[in-house]
Amino acid sequence: MLKPVYELENVTLYYKKGKFKANDDISLTIYQGEIIGILGPNGAGKTTLIKQMIGQLAPTRGSVKFRGYEVSRHVKDVIQQIAYYSQETFALSFLKTKEALYFTGRLKGLSKKEAKQQTDAILQRLGMYEYRDKILSKLSGGQRRLISFGTTLIGQASVMILDEPTNELDPLKRKLVWDIIRELNQKGTTIILVTHNILEAEKVVHRVAVVDHGKLLALDHIENLKKRVDQRMRVEIYAQEAAVQKIRDRLKAFGNVEIVEDAKLTMALEKSAVRTVIDIIQDESLNINQYSLLPPSLEDVYSMLQKQRGGE
Amino acid sequence: MRTMNVFTQFFVELVILFRIQIAIVRHQLLWIIAMSAIFPIVTLIFMEFLLGETNPEQLARLIIGNMIFSILLMGMNILGQDISYQKFGGYFTYYSSLPIRKMNFILSLLFYGILTSSPSFIIVFTLGQRIYGVDLHFEWLLLPISFLAIFSVVGIGVLMGFLSPNPQFTNVVAQFLLMFVTFLTPVMIELKDLPVILQWISYVLPTTYVANVLHSMLTVGWTESTLGEVLILIIFSCASYLLISKKIHWRVQ
Repeated sequence: MLKPVYELENVTLYYKKGKFKANDDISLTIYQGEIIGILGPNGAGKTTLIKQMIGQLAPTRGSVKFRGYEVSRHVKDVIQQIAYYSQETFALSFLKTKEALYFTGRLKGLSKKEAKQQTDAILQRLGMYEYRDKILSKLSGGQRRLISFGTTLIGQASVMILDEPTNELDPLKRKLVWDIIRELNQKGTTIILVTHNILEAEKVVHRVAVVDHGKLLALDHIENLKKRVDQRMRVEIYAQEAAVQKIRDRLKAFGNVEIVEDAKLTMALEKSAVRTVIDIIQDESLNINQYSLLPPSLEDVYSMLQKQRGGE
Repeated sequence: MRTMNVFTQFFVELVILFRIQIAIVRHQLLWIIAMSAIFPIVTLIFMEFLLGETNPEQLARLIIGNMIFSILLMGMNILGQDISYQKFGGYFTYYSSLPIRKMNFILSLLFYGILTSSPSFIIVFTLGQRIYGVDLHFEWLLLPISFLAIFSVVGIGVLMGFLSPNPQFTNVVAQFLLMFVTFLTPVMIELKDLPVILQWISYVLPTTYVANVLHSMLTVGWTESTLGEVLILIIFSCASYLLISKKIHWRVQ
């Protein structure tokens, strides 16, 4: 039987003396050894939820339990067992990279030897060993973020809470971070991932909790969530920039057409409409360079849930 | 992961937090010295022209006044702004998500304040004597007393940084407080020369006792009356520590 790590029951949190509800009646259980993604747009209440899980905020109503203990009453015990990666400015920017990792390890209770060994190993794994004597503030934003992520790895906590770990990273470093997350999970680490990078998260997470306007809109395995939209297909269209608006106008009768880049459009289609839409796309007057027909993705689920919420 | 006993844990935590503060100060050392020393040194030099003929007693007061002014500037004004900026920049999330004690975190902030305030204090002490040719009294007891004096002022800076609703507000309060403290306490002039109402206000400010203690220590050395002033400074330091401890929102209380 799966062991619960976190149990959240009816978690509600008000800000501004009750005027603003940041989390609204959220219930979810996170199990040992899983990677759960908490997805949602900016301001959805994801970070607020996480802050209650690490004891920086207490819910106004409901309870947050870690391994059976109420977090707000056992904060120090909880944070001894978890590692938290924050989106906020890294406090150790004036230290050398090796100092930032070593001191964090010592503050997590490692011996001098352990802290030194883990510092070297993490610097090697992150490809930052040659920068070990550099002051963090002299490195690029992405390198600083990577070292900040490294401070989460030191101490080898059994539960990791990562708030947007790939923000500000270039594609290679993002891949490195996702690879490390996968490796840690294979060794048994429970990972709670807060992100709005749905396409990347889809490749690593087992379950997803979609949060918006403080509410939990969905909680399920990715495959189950995708079933909700499996009567749909995703069409991605690459066209000449000048033609984008015209294409959108021609296709809007079949679903919501989004312009995701200057010359790229995407839309979710009912399977029954696919033939008709492809006929329109192949019309030469629309100046379409390339198109792809794809199975539904987590992004489609996310868009559907958002739309449903908007219609409430 | 933790196998140390509570006392060792406490000590290791404190040492590591202090080492982090030393590393931060090391990186900013030139800036700290420049920021903290320029104004008091320039004041010292210009006072020589402005005051004309002065007696050793006035000169000693002038040097001590500038030493206090330098710790007010760094330990209260700049430290308050720095902490406020760090607080609103989210720097403290890093510390509060680690299994460290709130007490140690506060002590490390106070230590940071002492580290940033001490260079100017020492520079003005050394240069002041050279510029005016005055020999101030020195005994080893001066070191812990100077430390206590700085600590009591640093407490105000830390408190101000944490209490302010935003960094802009901290800037305004810091400027106002610097002026207020400089003019309403016997930093540059003797307490008895202030109007009575200002004398009463002076009694509630730690800088009054800092000025008295340092003046006494640097002119005649330790006397029985110094003990009373030192005790008051200890009370101020403890009170500011307790206030900071209460006001810092450190995890769920």
